[in-house]
Amino acid sequence: MSAILKSRSATLALSSRSWTRCSSLRAMSTANSSTQPETSASSLATTSEVSHNTHFKVTLKRSGISLGDKVKGTLLALGFHRRFQTVYHRHTPEAAGMILKVKELVEVENVPEHMVRTPEEQRRERKAVRGYKVVGNRRESLLNV
Amino acid sequence: MFGAFRPTGTNLGGLLWKTPWKLSVTRKANARARLKKVDAVIEAVRASGVQCESLNRALELPKEHEMPAKDKYTIFSATTKGYRKGIHKVPKWTRMTLRTNPKGF
Repeated sequence: MSAILKSRSATLALSSRSWTRCSSLRAMSTANSSTQPETSASSLATTSEVSHNTHFKVTLKRSGISLGDKVKGTLLALGFHRRFQTVYHRHTPEAAGMILKVKELVEVENVPEHMVRTPEEQRRERKAVRGYKVVGNRRESLLNV
Repeated sequence: MFGAFRPTGTNLGGLLWKTPWKLSVTRKANARARLKKVDAVIEAVRASGVQCESLNRALELPKEHEMPAKDKYTIFSATTKGYRKGIHKVPKWTRMTLRTNPKGF
């Protein structure tokens, strides 16, 4: 099991190194998690789910107002309805093409599968925790006698 | 004297449309930051390992630190003397990719 993971991490490292030709200077990457597979795979040898990035986490930072129907259509296809909305897309050439079409408006991060959140989950995470706990109320205590 | 685009002068309640010829230090700094953000987006898509034609085209674009100042703050203009004008004169310039210009200009 650990041998498979170690070989997978080796192939990941090899593929990433061969891909970075002159773009090794691109230090301004938002994808800090993209370097995780190389370190986490070697350390978490027992977990079956390696933190291998599978999704784009895309956030709309600038609107598409007055940029034309094509750009607006691309934003809609990505699932954006308002600024600062976050959507998750699997790593596909279609998603990559759409993101690059609106690259000036958007912020992208590569995340693993377990970090993907549905809109309901995102809403739940945004909610503030109550500073108190409801232990009971008078009506309930009367009903229960 | 009349019309929407009036020059400076005593304009009681009128509109003043004056755009500076060049960008200020602040605007240039913000423009550089925006270029870096787009570089980061292209880098994230590249790091994902997905292969597509639009990524190949995006990787051909110069990065912010590779661009000369002329390309960051001015853009080719066929009708202007010197064939260059301020990039801020382009509508929606803060949300468009305007990195390359015709060769020699």
